[in-house]
Amino acid sequence: MLLFLLAAGLTLIFGMLGVINFAHGAIYMLGAYISYETGRRTGSFLMGALVATLFTALVGAVVEKLTLRPLYERPHFYQLILTFGLILVLSDLVRFFWGPGYQEVPIPQLWSGTVDMLGSTIPMYRLFVIGFGALISVGLYLVLEKSTFGMLVRAASSDAEMVRILGLPVGTIRMAVFAIGCGLSGLAGSIAAPLFPIELGMATNTIIDCFIVVILGGLGNIRGAIAASMLIGMVRAIGYVYMPGWVDIMTFVLLIGTLLTRPQGLFHRTARTA
Amino acid sequence: MKLTKFDIYFGLLLAAASIVLPFLSPGEAMIQLLTLAAIWAIFAIGFDFVFGSLGMVSFGHATFLGVGGYAVALATQKYGLPFYGGAVLAIAVGAAFALLFSFFALRVSGIFFALVTLALSQLIFILADSKLGSFTGGSDGISGVERPNFLGIDFFDPVNYYWFVLGLYALVMLAVISLRSSPFGRVIAAIRDNETRADQLGFNVNRYKQITFVISGALSGLAGALLASLLMYMNPQMLHWTTSGDVIIMTLLGGSGTLWGATVGVLVFEFLKEWLSSWTEYWYGILGTVFILATIFFPRGIIGELEKGFATYQKNRRGGAR
Repeated sequence: MLLFLLAAGLTLIFGMLGVINFAHGAIYMLGAYISYETGRRTGSFLMGALVATLFTALVGAVVEKLTLRPLYERPHFYQLILTFGLILVLSDLVRFFWGPGYQEVPIPQLWSGTVDMLGSTIPMYRLFVIGFGALISVGLYLVLEKSTFGMLVRAASSDAEMVRILGLPVGTIRMAVFAIGCGLSGLAGSIAAPLFPIELGMATNTIIDCFIVVILGGLGNIRGAIAASMLIGMVRAIGYVYMPGWVDIMTFVLLIGTLLTRPQGLFHRTARTA
Repeated sequence: MKLTKFDIYFGLLLAAASIVLPFLSPGEAMIQLLTLAAIWAIFAIGFDFVFGSLGMVSFGHATFLGVGGYAVALATQKYGLPFYGGAVLAIAVGAAFALLFSFFALRVSGIFFALVTLALSQLIFILADSKLGSFTGGSDGISGVERPNFLGIDFFDPVNYYWFVLGLYALVMLAVISLRSSPFGRVIAAIRDNETRADQLGFNVNRYKQITFVISGALSGLAGALLASLLMYMNPQMLHWTTSGDVIIMTLLGGSGTLWGATVGVLVFEFLKEWLSSWTEYWYGILGTVFILATIFFPRGIIGELEKGFATYQKNRRGGAR
């Protein structure tokens, strides 16, 4: 589910803006560090998550406004490459403020227990992550498909020129989408913070995982992303039990196979274009 | 492509600088830096052969560089081959991996091409880093990579090695110039500019792409061999996808698709890195900022902008004479 939270932002940005955001992993890392810092100062996990989400969304808005806006009209690879530059900048900024070492965030007290389910013991926090991910996915779906804002976003992605002629601020809509995407990633970072050590490698390692989910689900397809993150999660879980050490390779083989046979993703439906 | 006046002048300038600089400012650090730049330039030229000439973004070139490095490291360390044997092997292995990648990656285009090459190269990275650790030395790498031996010249001497690399660089440059101005090069340019049309004209587009990709892989393999030999050390980091990112930055910074762009991009990158890292450890971030600004404001890259300026200058001069 964590994977979904992460991939949701990436797929949202691609689906609605056509931009592949390489810096997504870096934003995720930033979110984790921010929540660590806020949590350390205020002692509240909730506060940390909130600040991390808002801050990364703000970063996203600024980045979109300053760097991506001049690039929409150019070939796609410029955006790909530009966001690669962003990784370098964000990573070094984080290193500047927090240093190169590992940081840890304690599991919030409310969720620190364990639950017995189906004969095995499961940490409460993991259940919380699952529930929270489900909540976000439903929320995202509702916002995109049912609300006026969602309609605007979809309109702007299918025909920006027309929306502009109708007098609506396409630039602002795009900025909002990018900000939401980054905010989701930052949120994922803060949620992940208690589960994994926080480190600089997050920026370049997680993005590969995100890509896998997003490609398997079909670029820009939110429902596909949900299904794909579950699929990857299952493949990994089973892989760890039966063939530890081959898990990463299995994921990549799955990915490459998908790209070759169904580049539009495993869960693509031609009848509907998101 | 036709060599313009600009290309020739700039080439002469670069050649003069590369020969004079070692005498002007001897010092081991300078030589090391120049050698490194020349090697990376070979890599970047190889990369730009796909990126600039063919117009496809590969995010997997780290693999070709890396396997070249491993080929020479393993051949000389484990199997006792001389450096030249290793280097030839490196070129062959680079080309072979490029061929392998092309079977998968050329089935898709655009962004998907970038993503497939990225995924494949990350797979190779994981294999070399952990799965084949007993063969590749894992994340510890392999140390003590050989340097070449030629007519009794000692290439462990940095200056001699620099001349060796520079000579190879010149050969590569000549090869690329003649390739790009050959009929083959014209077809590639046609594919870049209008793939459908090239296809309609009866060219086997995929075959041309594949050949370009393989040549590019071979050049990258050579660069990898030289790099491993310069550092006398080889580790999986060379295979990591951020290496592919670096070479893209360099090429774009210098100006992709131009004759000297890749080389200039590498020089600027390496010298900026050297200079920045002398007063801050956050040079990568600053370099990233420079790069972002360059992408927004100078998408043609340094050489692209210079060429434009030179063209305007020539036009004005002619206009003034009239």
